[in-house]
Amino acid sequence: MSNDPMAEIRASFFIECEELLESLQDGLTAMDDGDTDSETINVCFRAVHSIKGGAGAFGLEELVRFAHRFETVMDEIRNGRLEPTRDTIALFFRGADVLYDIVRASRDGETLDQSTTEAVLSDLEALVGGRIEEEEAEEEIDFAPMTLSLDPLDAEGDDEAAGEAPPGVHVRFHPAAELFSSGNEPRHMLAALRDFGEIQTTCDLSRLPALADLVPEEGAIGWDVQITTTARKEEVSEVFEFVDGLCELSIEVSGSPAAGLPDLDSIVIPGTVDDADSPASAAAEESEPDPEPEPVAPAPEPPAARAQAPEAKPAATPAKEGKQAASGAKATVRVDLDRIERLVNLVGELVINQAMLSQSVAEAGIPANSTVASGLEEFLQLTRDIQESVMMIRAQPVKSLFQRMSRIVRESSAMVGKSVRFITDGEQTEIDKTVIERLADPLTHMVRNAVDHGLETTEGRIAAGKPADGVVTLSAAHKSGRVVLEIKDDGGGINREAVKAKAEEKGLIAPGVPMSDQEIDNLLFLPGFSTAKEVSDLSGRGVGMDVVRSSIQALGGRVTITSEPGVGTTFSISLPLTLAVLDGMVVEAGGEILVVPLGSISETLTLQASDMEQLGAGTQLVRIREEFVPILDMAVQLGFRTPLDSYEGSSVLLIAMEDNTRSALVVDRIVEQRQVVIKGLQESYGRVPGIAAATILGNGRIALILDPADLIASAGSSRTMQTFDLAG
Amino acid sequence: MSDASLRLSLPERLDLPAAAPLREAVLEHAGKPLVLDASACESLGTPGLQVLLAAAKSWREANTDLSVEGMSEACEAQLAIFGLTPQDLCSKELAE
Repeated sequence: MSNDPMAEIRASFFIECEELLESLQDGLTAMDDGDTDSETINVCFRAVHSIKGGAGAFGLEELVRFAHRFETVMDEIRNGRLEPTRDTIALFFRGADVLYDIVRASRDGETLDQSTTEAVLSDLEALVGGRIEEEEAEEEIDFAPMTLSLDPLDAEGDDEAAGEAPPGVHVRFHPAAELFSSGNEPRHMLAALRDFGEIQTTCDLSRLPALADLVPEEGAIGWDVQITTTARKEEVSEVFEFVDGLCELSIEVSGSPAAGLPDLDSIVIPGTVDDADSPASAAAEESEPDPEPEPVAPAPEPPAARAQAPEAKPAATPAKEGKQAASGAKATVRVDLDRIERLVNLVGELVINQAMLSQSVAEAGIPANSTVASGLEEFLQLTRDIQESVMMIRAQPVKSLFQRMSRIVRESSAMVGKSVRFITDGEQTEIDKTVIERLADPLTHMVRNAVDHGLETTEGRIAAGKPADGVVTLSAAHKSGRVVLEIKDDGGGINREAVKAKAEEKGLIAPGVPMSDQEIDNLLFLPGFSTAKEVSDLSGRGVGMDVVRSSIQALGGRVTITSEPGVGTTFSISLPLTLAVLDGMVVEAGGEILVVPLGSISETLTLQASDMEQLGAGTQLVRIREEFVPILDMAVQLGFRTPLDSYEGSSVLLIAMEDNTRSALVVDRIVEQRQVVIKGLQESYGRVPGIAAATILGNGRIALILDPADLIASAGSSRTMQTFDLAG
Repeated sequence: MSDASLRLSLPERLDLPAAAPLREAVLEHAGKPLVLDASACESLGTPGLQVLLAAAKSWREANTDLSVEGMSEACEAQLAIFGLTPQDLCSKELAE
């Protein structure tokens, strides 16, 4: 399938859809904030319309059907027949959610639960009093070009009234075998032509052979289509954009232009930015700069670079860019993720190579003030800059993720009957794309939790003297080389007594043990904490906070809770900027060189005999500021050697575990602290306990990157078993 | 006449994969009156349409009856997009 050009174009369409949905969300949010000028409404309308157009070209009937009805209702607002009230906008948000679902389902070939779609559709229809007409004539014998009949602003609708000789476009179209084999169907194109105006289709049977001679997979029939329209030739040719070269095609302009709107064909100079605007603004007496080109174009925004009619693009694009410029859009290039992946890998190699070079220079005994050494220093700086820039390519603003969360808030607040205001901050903060994707699930769960458990009921809030609307804030920011996401609610805070009682009841902690507030808060992350009693419609999906925490940890991140009774709870997620490089501490254990992620080490120290205590057989403790921490020999845990008699003089890495307990990993010595390039092992070796990945060191040796928390956890379980053996 | 005709049901989706088998099936009855039952057909693609049109042409040339019956409204609407009517798929003028 990857070689199928149609599949590629289809994939581009869905990427385009995501962007359109994003601008739809933006537009709706702006409308919700009271910005209901025609431009904002146009942005929303155009987003839905473009999705519909593209969906039509790919025969995604369900998507076309929904988008059509949705845009029809928006159109009512566009031409002032419907007030954009809060309820209407809320319904539009729901519509956008459904549209999102249908796009997803169409892309993944899934079937959707129709009940939500139908509910939103009937609400939309109720809004305009059943004025929605069907779109595709495939289901209906309704021949009226619908977008136009509803919109008096559309020039096509005025043709007849103008009393001029109707202008038009004549299309001759004869498919070749490749058109069918690439998954295209002429019917969709013929149907799309009807959006331009009144059409007369004649099927050309002159080349049709007798049945015995027919090869059904080849093109035996063709069409002559006369369209009465003011649309330009280029707009019409966009319909055939994806079958360029797969058919015989001629598109010619016929008839005279309409009075009010000059035929753009005659005046458009390809590449001139102003064309699209000037005739439109001359023709339009209202403040709507380009009602014509966009709404009538049935083809998707050309996602692929191969445009069939290159001259069509400069004319259509500036108008669109003009719109985007208002919202501060930047020029972008779409690049295959694989290519970036390759670049990231190459830069990784460069970092390794640079480290090797540094090492050779050091070994050669070249003095630090030599030109070689200072040149190398510059090289090192450049390498770091390149690396950071490359990582930035993969970085994406968290905005799309935040928009998804706004939907979660809408849905979950409706489900539990709470009125919630959702505030986002730092939407433009950028994180590695792969991280963003893997954040969606944990974040969804946390946002649901905030709405369901974090916020009080409306009555509870009023009783506590708070505003009836609960507030959930989602923010993102860069802090000292990491990205920090915060999910904050202004609810009642964690009920620590209840949490503790529940943990005791579940046997997760021993009863009656005094615990700090933070320790109690962290109980929420224990596996098995979130169970039946906690389950509500919303949060109880069998996923506890322990799963949230482990998915964040898998990204090299940490989750922390702060909560204040009566004021609210904040969950903070701290993440590394990228998954490709890591600041690590290079250590030696049992003669092997290993890398420990710097983020997991809270401090290091050298063991003195006076600091150590023996606890039973085989367990040693180290005293750190009046606290005893169990010692684990890294080399023994990894199977490099048997335990030593004395660890005096060894180095200790103090590892802070997520539950705020600490463990001491003993290594022979600490070599250096440096940045390493992460090379995955999982593909070749599967998951190795205690090992996160590998890297290549400056001397060309491969070193394992440890996952200290995992190593300590597995050591913990084996130690428990030992004790059990002794007892038995 | 159509009482004595053979009946052949058209598939639900008359698309590219369905076209060649349909051609085979129709060809088997070459020279004999044939009724194509379109009541199950919901989607009409160009390759399938070509088979129907070529069949109508061949039957017309052989002066034999070929008709399409029970076409759904959806299917007729699709035919209209192609610029055709059910009549175009029959070898003779429809009695109605």
